[in-house]
Amino acid sequence: MRLSAQQEALERYLATGDSVIPSELLVQIQGSNTLPAADGLMIYNNAYRARLLSVMREDFPALHRWLGDESFEQLALAYISAWPPRHFSLRWLGEKLPEFVSGYIAEPQRSPMLELATLEWAFTLAFDAPDAVPLSLDVMGSFSADDWVYLRVCLIPSVRWLQLQHNTLGMWVAAKAEADIPAAVALSAPLDCLVWRHELVCQYRTLEPGEASALRLLADGGSFASLCEDLLGQHGEQAPQRAVTWLKQWVCEGLLQRG
Amino acid sequence: MSKSNTLGFGLGLRSEYYQQILEQRPEVDWFEIISENYMVGGGKALYFLDAIKEQYPLVMHGVSLSIGGPHEIDADYLRQLKTLADRVQPCWVADHLCWSRGSAHHLHDLLPLPFTQESLLHVASRVRLVQDVLQRPLVLENVSAYVQWKTSCMSESQFLAELSSLTGCEILLDVNNVYVSSRNQGFDPWQFIMELPHGRIRQIHLAGHSDYGHYLIDTHDQPIADPVWTLYSKTLSYLGATATLIERDDHFPPFDELLAELFKARSISANVLGAAAPCA
Repeated sequence: MRLSAQQEALERYLATGDSVIPSELLVQIQGSNTLPAADGLMIYNNAYRARLLSVMREDFPALHRWLGDESFEQLALAYISAWPPRHFSLRWLGEKLPEFVSGYIAEPQRSPMLELATLEWAFTLAFDAPDAVPLSLDVMGSFSADDWVYLRVCLIPSVRWLQLQHNTLGMWVAAKAEADIPAAVALSAPLDCLVWRHELVCQYRTLEPGEASALRLLADGGSFASLCEDLLGQHGEQAPQRAVTWLKQWVCEGLLQRG
Repeated sequence: MSKSNTLGFGLGLRSEYYQQILEQRPEVDWFEIISENYMVGGGKALYFLDAIKEQYPLVMHGVSLSIGGPHEIDADYLRQLKTLADRVQPCWVADHLCWSRGSAHHLHDLLPLPFTQESLLHVASRVRLVQDVLQRPLVLENVSAYVQWKTSCMSESQFLAELSSLTGCEILLDVNNVYVSSRNQGFDPWQFIMELPHGRIRQIHLAGHSDYGHYLIDTHDQPIADPVWTLYSKTLSYLGATATLIERDDHFPPFDELLAELFKARSISANVLGAAAPCA
């Protein structure tokens, strides 16, 4: 048997997870008195699944806690079977889990499970997203009047913006605190939630609708002047003050960089 | 390769110890990174990598090159490896003599090759390609194996010797892996080491394994076992001073316990080679 055929046989055995070792593979393998060929192959087979399951538990701890060991393992194994590792780094193993959940799980579990998986993956993405130099209050302190007029900002690369339809954040917080996870409940209105990294540490917080709309305007390329103008309708004369307060908060949180 | 420029005694760099390393500047001669852990956009890993490389020599050790795989060498992986090497300026770049990616997807394990002429030519051509990109010799490590291919017509150590002769690649001798494979497959670990071209051995690895009675598994989650220390001592008496690294990848103990193992390696080396011999 050629090298490529030998490798294909072992790859197929590991990926399918069959407990029965195909005879065309077994006849290629030399065991020893202490470790017979079948036992040696089983070590590789078990290690493959154990390693991938371990990564899935690490990347989706809240989902794991919510579903429990057995159901999570069932979900993770089905996922691994549908989406075997396609990247050289295990860091990307769980990338397609939200997509998989949306096709594999039925309602009413599907939506909250999809959101929880998306939220947990957002933290994974934020953790090692490209670095940025966030806009700082020091830099803004040196702005000229023209700088303010033409100021354009965007969100730093680690920001993930989620619109939650369920009490997913509460479920995630409870899981993180190793407390009882509340039942999934649909919210009366969608909730904007940001996940990002600031000074090496992942952060999250929710936005009330007015703030979300203002931040979206700036992040989409709007100027500070256009933000003030946009806020006039709701905040009247207080619009510039409202805009400055939010801008200062976003800058202190390290959410923005110059556009 | 000159033995006089050995790096001394190092530890695998793991995130569990980043802060402690920077704060305490432990007596470690060098650190070895897992290359793939730093092929990311930014964040904590790259921050600490940059800080620690200011204070210690670093070596890169990968797990995903799949030098013996049936696929083409992953160009994206190789590009990222080169980018990381340019950033880290490591003393050398290592990976494993194995395959870890199949034709369809990644298997994330260090799978054994059949040690045949066909494999030798296959691996040699890929080593040359990698070395051309990296512009440096590749260092390849013997792996722990739980099976052998019946088609093998030479031992792993003979294969490494031939490969080194054909390509100029160097060897990372993992003494624990030799011991684990020798117990699992019933060969003489000392003969394995004697068959290696000693002038091409760049580095030694030491690690712990799990003993399941009639077989061993290379788990890196235990202290180094006594028979591995014994084999290490005998190996040093044959090789002379050789850069030595201790790996721990799970059940992370307090850092002082790893340092104690490192001092033990230092002490064995001093006893075997004479007190003045080993450190750079």
